[in-house]
Amino acid sequence: MSESLPLRRVAARTRLDFWFDAAILVGYTVAYSYGFTGVVIHEWLGIALGIALLLHITLHWDWVVRTTGRLLRPRGPDKLIWLVNLALLFAMTLCVASGILISRVALPELRISLPLDDPFWDRAHTLTAEVTLGLVPVHVALRWRWIAGVGRRLLTRRPR
Amino acid sequence: MRFLRQLAAATAVVALVVLIGLAWHHFAPGTFGGQGGTGPHRFVVRGQPAAAVHRGVKVLPGVELNTGGTSGVLPIQLGDLLEPVNLAVLWNTAWIEAAVIAGVVIVDAGRRKLRRTRRAR
Repeated sequence: MSESLPLRRVAARTRLDFWFDAAILVGYTVAYSYGFTGVVIHEWLGIALGIALLLHITLHWDWVVRTTGRLLRPRGPDKLIWLVNLALLFAMTLCVASGILISRVALPELRISLPLDDPFWDRAHTLTAEVTLGLVPVHVALRWRWIAGVGRRLLTRRPR
Repeated sequence: MRFLRQLAAATAVVALVVLIGLAWHHFAPGTFGGQGGTGPHRFVVRGQPAAAVHRGVKVLPGVELNTGGTSGVLPIQLGDLLEPVNLAVLWNTAWIEAAVIAGVVIVDAGRRKLRRTRRAR
């Protein structure tokens, strides 16, 4: 039997960021795959993703404020990431919002009825979903060094 | 307290984006053109007819698929799928994400390497 080595020490906040973001990515991937989930799971998962998105922004609010403040500096870092994140904020928020507006299962379950039968929201949902599919992986990949570093520390054992 | 303040700020930003979406709908409802939602993402409700489903998706027995004609309702039922046969849809999404991530990582790593080489000269 092999002796198990202790996991490396990683700050609780870093661990939370890593696993929470990983869960959001997996949840998003499943929710996007409507043909696999079916409508019920798609809608509930979409609502959960909306709440997770709000928490994600809250957890990274310091970064938002700091980076926005540095935008006007000529060589300020993270400009590209800021732009991608802004586009993703719009796309993801409108995707969840339009999804709620066209909901056929989740909202009736919550006894909420929206008298909307407007193709605008159907199409907005489709369009924003497709935009998010392009932007989510870019959002993830632009932080690949942080992900690789924290992932390595979280998943490898500390030598005694 | 700090968390609540940040949550309130994030909620305000999200609400602002939703308001922009509602304003978009109000001032330019014809942005996407045409009438009726007959695209492939017009989704189905339990017991209601579906306009269409993704290509390659298996349609379970008992669900109705509305093909658009007056009598074009096929006997198929979409509810909770999670059918192993439809895993291809999930893999397809994961594949697209993985390809974009790989592309961005390769470009970013190449750019950093180039910058390091230039600095070293």
